[in-house]
Amino acid sequence: MESSELARFEAVVLPHLDAAYTLARYLTRNEHDAEDVVQDACLRALKYFDGFRGEEGTSARAWLLAIVRNTAFSSRRRQRPDAVVFEFDEAQHSGSVADEHPEAALLRGAAKESLGRALDRLAPEFREVIVLRELEGLSYKEIGDVAGVPVGTVMSRLSRARTRLQQALREEGER
Amino acid sequence: MKRGNADVTHPGFEAQLDAYLDGELAAGDARELEVHLAQCPECARFRDGRLELRAAITARVPVFPAPDALRERVRAAVGAARARAPHRFTARGVWRPLALAASLAVVALGSWRLALQRAAGETLADEVLASHIRSLMPGHLTDVLSSDQHTVKPWFNGRLDFSPPVYDFSARGYPLLGGRLDYVDGRDVAALVYGRRQHLINVFLWPSARGPAAAPATRTQQGYHLLHWTTADYTCWVVSDLGLAEFQDFAQLMRQADSTGSGRRGAAGLR
Repeated sequence: MESSELARFEAVVLPHLDAAYTLARYLTRNEHDAEDVVQDACLRALKYFDGFRGEEGTSARAWLLAIVRNTAFSSRRRQRPDAVVFEFDEAQHSGSVADEHPEAALLRGAAKESLGRALDRLAPEFREVIVLRELEGLSYKEIGDVAGVPVGTVMSRLSRARTRLQQALREEGER
Repeated sequence: MKRGNADVTHPGFEAQLDAYLDGELAAGDARELEVHLAQCPECARFRDGRLELRAAITARVPVFPAPDALRERVRAAVGAARARAPHRFTARGVWRPLALAASLAVVALGSWRLALQRAAGETLADEVLASHIRSLMPGHLTDVLSSDQHTVKPWFNGRLDFSPPVYDFSARGYPLLGGRLDYVDGRDVAALVYGRRQHLINVFLWPSARGPAAAPATRTQQGYHLLHWTTADYTCWVVSDLGLAEFQDFAQLMRQADSTGSGRRGAAGLR
């Protein structure tokens, strides 16, 4: 029984390990942190597995990704308590899509950046919608579930993040 | 829906366009937007920029496979946790593992050029695939945009010398998006477009030459799955970038609908 439960967990969760690792990589921007986050997330998933029954609307993938996302954000907050806008306030932070200190942006000045670097430099709330959409292929509804925001917010974040990336793409072209 | 200045400055509208390109807009809104896109060069430019970005992301932003060492660590950690707290597991039979292929849900627009370079008519599969990819280009997907099978089916009247069977699988998660005329195998054919999240499925149909019915055959080419079969009435090709499991699920629905609907619709496939 126990081992069959374990097998069930492995059958449900492990197929999505690549997706989990990809999200973690982009959220932590670091492979070691990403591995830790995924391992942590899997243990949490195991703990809450009882509560997950994969009923309509929730895919195992989105469920696991939500746990990965929350694990990544809380570990980030632990490590760099001042660096993360954890409770993201759309109105308050709507001015900046970038995840960097204004001075850093200033220093960077007119330096052009590549698409990959531009993605890494997006604020996590914007980076995650891009990864969840473009790389993980989740629906808006699923992204909303993962990020814990309404679909309208998913829509606007995705749009603004894309505009920022497109700008980077243009700058690349000008180089 | 308003027009902007040189720079598109209406963020609400941008988000709507994005939702449209992501296949997240309701059919009515999508139709309205397509009408607007056809008239508004700024918005069309905006759309083209987005498609470029999508292709660039597909080509250059990688997915990271989990390292084997991590896989092992997870297994070990899960095993150890279970040993410590076995009572956490209780039986629950409701669940069945989702057989969702880990499909990357990015429409691989980047590959259309490649496909278009192929000489026309190399093989039927190449031809069908090229049609599919061409249909993904802006403005090529549908001639009649409707999720209503009773709108789509009559649209073909007078445009084709046969009436293709049109089904609505929206209850099963594959909504009908519309139809168009296409040209395959040296003749006009019906192309029906179904959706699955942001994936598109093209179904090509034309009357079959006399001959035995052929069982379904699947192939994979450039990351797209193709499946075709022949019934007494017509030849059917299905193409999509869906994961294989969902792709086969859809094909199964098509074939079931054909056999159960043969009295009402399927047999009427040929007039």
